[in-house]
Amino acid sequence: MNIKGLAFNTFKESARNKMFYLLVFFGIIFALSSKLISFLTLGDTIKVLKDTGLAAINFFCVLIAIFTGINLVYKEIEKKTIFNILSKPVTRDHFIIGKFFGLALTMLVALIAMAGIFFILVLLVGGGFDFKILLYFFMLYLELLIIVAISLLFSSFSTPILSFIFTVSLYLIGHIMWTFNEFKSLLRSPLLEKFTHMLYYILPNLDKFNIKNEVVLDLPMRTGTILFSILYALVYIMALLTVTIMIFRKREFL
Amino acid sequence: MKTLEITNLKKSFRSNFLIKKYHILKGIDISVEQGEIYGFLGPNGAGKTTTIKCIMGLLFPNEGEILVNGQPSASIAARRQIGFLPENPYFYDYLSASELLHFSASLFAIPATVARERIDLLIKQVGLEGHEHLKLRKFSKGMTQRLGMAQALIQDPVCLILDEPFSGLDPIGRKEFRDLILNLKGQGKTIFFSSHILQDMEMMVDKVGIIINGRISRQGQLSEMIASSTQYHEIVCSRISEKQLTKINPNFVSHDNQFIITLDNEADINLVVESIIHNNGLVIAVNPVKKTLEDIFLKELREV
Amino acid sequence: MNGKLLAVIFLSLLLLAAVFQNRYDSTISYFSDRSTFVSLPSGKALKILSFGYQNLTADLLFIWSIQFYSTYYLTNRFDYLERVYNTITDITPQYKEPYIIGALIMVFEAKDIPMAIRLLDKGSRNIEKEWFFDHEAGYYCYKYLKDYSRAEAYYARAASKPNAPSFLKRMKAHMVYLQDDPKVAYQMWLDIYNNARDRLEKDSAFNHLYQIKAEIDLPVLQQEIAGFKENFRRFPATLAELVRTGIAKAIPRDFSGNDYQYDPLQGAIKAQRVFKWKQR
Repeated sequence: MNIKGLAFNTFKESARNKMFYLLVFFGIIFALSSKLISFLTLGDTIKVLKDTGLAAINFFCVLIAIFTGINLVYKEIEKKTIFNILSKPVTRDHFIIGKFFGLALTMLVALIAMAGIFFILVLLVGGGFDFKILLYFFMLYLELLIIVAISLLFSSFSTPILSFIFTVSLYLIGHIMWTFNEFKSLLRSPLLEKFTHMLYYILPNLDKFNIKNEVVLDLPMRTGTILFSILYALVYIMALLTVTIMIFRKREFL
Repeated sequence: MKTLEITNLKKSFRSNFLIKKYHILKGIDISVEQGEIYGFLGPNGAGKTTTIKCIMGLLFPNEGEILVNGQPSASIAARRQIGFLPENPYFYDYLSASELLHFSASLFAIPATVARERIDLLIKQVGLEGHEHLKLRKFSKGMTQRLGMAQALIQDPVCLILDEPFSGLDPIGRKEFRDLILNLKGQGKTIFFSSHILQDMEMMVDKVGIIINGRISRQGQLSEMIASSTQYHEIVCSRISEKQLTKINPNFVSHDNQFIITLDNEADINLVVESIIHNNGLVIAVNPVKKTLEDIFLKELREV
Repeated sequence: MNGKLLAVIFLSLLLLAAVFQNRYDSTISYFSDRSTFVSLPSGKALKILSFGYQNLTADLLFIWSIQFYSTYYLTNRFDYLERVYNTITDITPQYKEPYIIGALIMVFEAKDIPMAIRLLDKGSRNIEKEWFFDHEAGYYCYKYLKDYSRAEAYYARAASKPNAPSFLKRMKAHMVYLQDDPKVAYQMWLDIYNNARDRLEKDSAFNHLYQIKAEIDLPVLQQEIAGFKENFRRFPATLAELVRTGIAKAIPRDFSGNDYQYDPLQGAIKAQRVFKWKQR
């Protein structure tokens, strides 16, 4: 199936991109520097080490997701390499889906590399193996897939700079969406309230994947929340891909 | 059933937020029979590339229909039968030639073993032997063009759509491409291509379509067009004065120490030759000159 | 201009910039001239602004605060102490260390016990299963505020938390004792003595019980001896005389079961052992 071919080709493209390696490298460096920061605290040093390491991996993976995503479709259109693909029996839908899976594979490789180093570091300082950290990386991966889908969406019709601004904005908004519910009740007009309520469901709610707190402090988590988070991610990604396909089907290439 | 049939193709663009519409294609009719080589000719901006992009589904026509072997040209079924080479092709520069061809093959779901054989054959056919493992960013324009041809042929298509296939090739390259295309025609394939290089076109095409300002100005078999275009004769002479020559026939130019007289009417030849000899001039040559494709083309341009 | 010259110019300019930066730094004092704290957003705001990196933000703020509050030459550094630790604990309320370290700084450096207790109360509220905060609060009430009833309340709460160590109950009983309620304290200690899980507990309870019993018994005995002296103009020869003359119903023994030591010449009664628990 040509989606597989497209996906692997996309992965190859990212894997041969210097920017990608640079970001993975820095991610690892920062994750390792968490050991240094943990020296400065009193009390639970392993907690600080985990916090810093996870934050570093989180940050750099998000950067990778955004940077590889926003260029993806745009570059194909700019360089006109897309002509070679769409002139073959490849539907526009397949093109987008293939690109997405290629990116998903890229993110997986990046995340595994950084996570692997992190686990080794934690083991070396005596933190032991924590299944919850694995769960965190899984949730992070879901979040990254959403970000990748968002950047792919913008890349299909917008320039890299605008795509970057929109994607970063949605990422930041996605992490403060949980305040919308609280602020909603502070608004005076019921119309604004309804509007805010609608926004709450349309815009991505990303903080649910941020289980760093629960993981590092070993707090209990309910299976219900995890399950619904996973379902939300899958459905939201599909929705994003659908919109991207809808836009892309109408796209003309001058 | 015609291999390629375009009926009343219209395409216009709106410039961003302006109300103004730009009509690029104003009703194109093209038909290409199976096994024909069709040359698509026109000045810059006439709409050649636009037409080709409409065929390939990269642009959506406003009106009209494009069929390849009876199926809509932009459909998946049609694209299986078409090999496409875009103008100024660009490929993933992080791949090698071989990798790119394997990738193209995968898009047709060609099994790997079959693909490998086919790719080896194609590399030889387009003259890229020895370069198949070189990264594409190191390719010259000519090499890229050849690779483009190879990827267009990856699935052994029945129809080829080529946009300026000769651009970037040196004379040897152009000859090789000409031979390749003629060879493909010999295999029964249909080839539709656009070009500026009229001499090459003249040597290869069966049918010609001239597009000017978004309309087909003239379409037909090349042989008919050339036959129907008036031939003229040239008489080369010397040892005669201009004054004398003007009296015989004023249509002449001087070149070195010779005069070249242009005669539209075949019947006038004998009279002019006799007159020159009568004036003690020297008749060096009497040459029939056929109008070339260029002449036909320039004439069409002038008439618009 | 060749490359080497340009490189030299670049490095010297960089050096010059560094010099100016240094001079600038010496003209201002970062913490007194710049309000590091006025611009510190509230905990809630920081939680929002950290965009998913709350734990790291709390950690960094906490690390910074440790360094900052150890900088002894900054004499006004405690002005915003409570605010800083409230911010950290608002961002990640479940993180234990800031409550503990914050309280330590408040008690030993800033010498503001009520502030520390407020922070520890917050910790106890946010991390319900943790006994340590109430223990610390109880200890500070006992040691510095000398507020034994409050201390008792804290120790009671601490002891009720899951996995509370056994000494908390003992502290509570001791607080009761310190409130001059020996009878209730005695009951508490008896309870501890009977339910003691190890040697240490039992021995400790024993000592307390011995002392308290002595403190209950001895004044009564002394009163009875004084009463005898008033009636009979002499001290009783033995304690048994007190019973015979009907002044005392019975002569209590100490917690070990031994007699109290009576000196008939002085009319003084004392216990065999004295445990100096009463430290006012």
